[in-house]
Amino acid sequence: MTDQSAVLADVRRGMIPAHIYNDQEIFTLEKERIFSRAWVFVAHESEIARAGDYVVRRVLDDSFIVTRDEAGEIRAHFNMCLHRGMQVCRAEMGNASHFRCPYHGWSYRNDGRIVGLPFHQDAYGGEAGFKRKGQRLLPAPNLDSHNGMIFISLDPDALPLRDFLGDFAFYLDYYTKQSPSGIEMRGPQRWRVKANWKIGAENFAGDMYHTPQTHTSVVEIGLFREPKAEKRKDGCTYWAGNGGGTTYKLPDGDLEERLSYVGYPQEMIERMKTSWSAEQCRVIGQDGFMISAASVFPNLSFVHNWPRVADSDDVLPFISVRQWQPISENETEILSWFAVDAEAPEEFKALSYKAYLMCFGSTGMFEQDDVENWVSLTNTAAGSMARRLRLNSRMGILADDTEVIPALTAEQFAGPGSAHVGYSEYNQRELLARWADHLERPVTAAAALHVGTTGVGEDRRAIATRNGADASDDPPALEHVPSEDAAEVTGA
Amino acid sequence: MSSSRENREQVTTQTHSSRSVLGAHASRIQRLGSTLPFGDERHLAAHQWLVDEAYLLDAQAYEAWLDLLTEDIHYLMPVRVTTALGAGFDTSPGMAHFDEDKYSLSRRVARFLTEHAWTEDPPSRLRHHLSNVRTFATPDEEHLIVESATMLFRNRGDVRESSFISAGREDLLRRGPMPDGSGWQLARRTIMVDESVMRMQNLAIFL
Repeated sequence: MTDQSAVLADVRRGMIPAHIYNDQEIFTLEKERIFSRAWVFVAHESEIARAGDYVVRRVLDDSFIVTRDEAGEIRAHFNMCLHRGMQVCRAEMGNASHFRCPYHGWSYRNDGRIVGLPFHQDAYGGEAGFKRKGQRLLPAPNLDSHNGMIFISLDPDALPLRDFLGDFAFYLDYYTKQSPSGIEMRGPQRWRVKANWKIGAENFAGDMYHTPQTHTSVVEIGLFREPKAEKRKDGCTYWAGNGGGTTYKLPDGDLEERLSYVGYPQEMIERMKTSWSAEQCRVIGQDGFMISAASVFPNLSFVHNWPRVADSDDVLPFISVRQWQPISENETEILSWFAVDAEAPEEFKALSYKAYLMCFGSTGMFEQDDVENWVSLTNTAAGSMARRLRLNSRMGILADDTEVIPALTAEQFAGPGSAHVGYSEYNQRELLARWADHLERPVTAAAALHVGTTGVGEDRRAIATRNGADASDDPPALEHVPSEDAAEVTGA
Repeated sequence: MSSSRENREQVTTQTHSSRSVLGAHASRIQRLGSTLPFGDERHLAAHQWLVDEAYLLDAQAYEAWLDLLTEDIHYLMPVRVTTALGAGFDTSPGMAHFDEDKYSLSRRVARFLTEHAWTEDPPSRLRHHLSNVRTFATPDEEHLIVESATMLFRNRGDVRESSFISAGREDLLRRGPMPDGSGWQLARRTIMVDESVMRMQNLAIFL
């Protein structure tokens, strides 16, 4: 493996070696040192609302069944039969009390416990040869959720999710807690693009500078009234904890007037006022900043915009959650969900969905032009000339690192973290600084799990002791209550 | 098109459009009986309409294409999902790639006509390959249902890998719009794409 320390040093001073956007060795390191320990979003609880509901999601090459078991606990099972390693679930979503491997018929309850092992006595001599008792599909080493957003980490010693998010949780509420019921998520649309995964994450984190150029056409057709150049730079970018994003500066008004300006009906505004803290309300109502795009390290992004959805001057806000799932150094699968406050009126939900489809996702008119740029960039980054180029990602700071525009003060911006008005690349640098920190730090090999042998107990406890919990056979799960035997229902 | 007959149909029939989030306004007329013979003039008219439409889509002559759509058009492309046999559904609930009315389609077309729709500058080379055309009568002779298969080939730039979309379509054609009652317009289209995960950088195209 090539020594990457010079690459990381360049990145840390905001000079980006262009080849990191299409480099097989870098990608191998990213797999090993970022995605094997960072918290990675897999699903929202509303996608698996009922007992037995499941979706199958991946963390790079690893497939997980994210399911709500019969007792209501949310679990993430590694989608690999303990016998010969076959995928036990080959659908993307559904409802099942059990998963049966099609190869030799081993079957598992949706809480992961093995329930069927054909010819256990004849083939293995029963428990003496293969310890069936206590066997379960391998759980994700760490599982946690925040505002219904379910994340997993392949690192059993990962920081608690809330600590990982840090002060970004303040901003996450604008997208995912507009009422006590939180959001419901629909989708995702999934499509693969020949672009490196970091580009989308960087763009959503802080690139206000691209809006007036890349998205000229959507202003010209009257879809969007905001992103004219002089408007976008009046907004600010912020970075807090492990995420950051962009905002628009709204016209004068108080909290209600500004939420109404972007299209929220009064009843939703009332719920936001009670769901958000005084500081969260102040960022909009007093400071005048409305959240737009954002990214959480490493590959989760959000967007909030307010286009026209009919031939009138009214605008309708929408929220999208998206993941930049790395496939290779030059290919990314985009998973793009529509999200909406669960308590919103049905008519609002329908029009917000229309706004989403027109702007983002596989057919979205903003997104169409973004991806064209990112594919082109990735393609160019593969060559030898790109290895000579250090892209300047220092927008917003001078040669001596002083700020072109000073950071907003606590009086000007009530949110946590650091915020700056104007065009800058603070957030892209923050994101890539975390990227460099991960790439620099080797990972320790995970403990092996020996299936059905006497050695299994020790390894199992090692997995279960995450978060300092008592050693037990219980794998990571949410809403933990003592589980009872699942009812025998037919399932996939 | 609000004959009492159609109103009765609307009470009892379900279509992909009526089950979609934004398709409540769409006509619910459905097919009647088996495939029309290939020599039937209604089939010949429907087939020719599809071939002529494919030409416009290949040429990206989108203003002319928009004229082929009725004012109450519902243009739907569900997101397909892989589900277990017997699950009872294979599209993503409440989500689609396209769930469009005339206004949203007109904005998409208007965008392509600006000089700043970068994703199509330089333009893609497109070919909509059309086959498996089957035409059905409906309870109303002003309407026909036409099924077809389409394979879109899209190539961008000089050496980029080409991409494909394979899909089946069900269309509702309505007689008009010429003053003498000739010609046909598209009143409803459902596009059932054959992939769950699209292998195309965006859907800056129509099917």
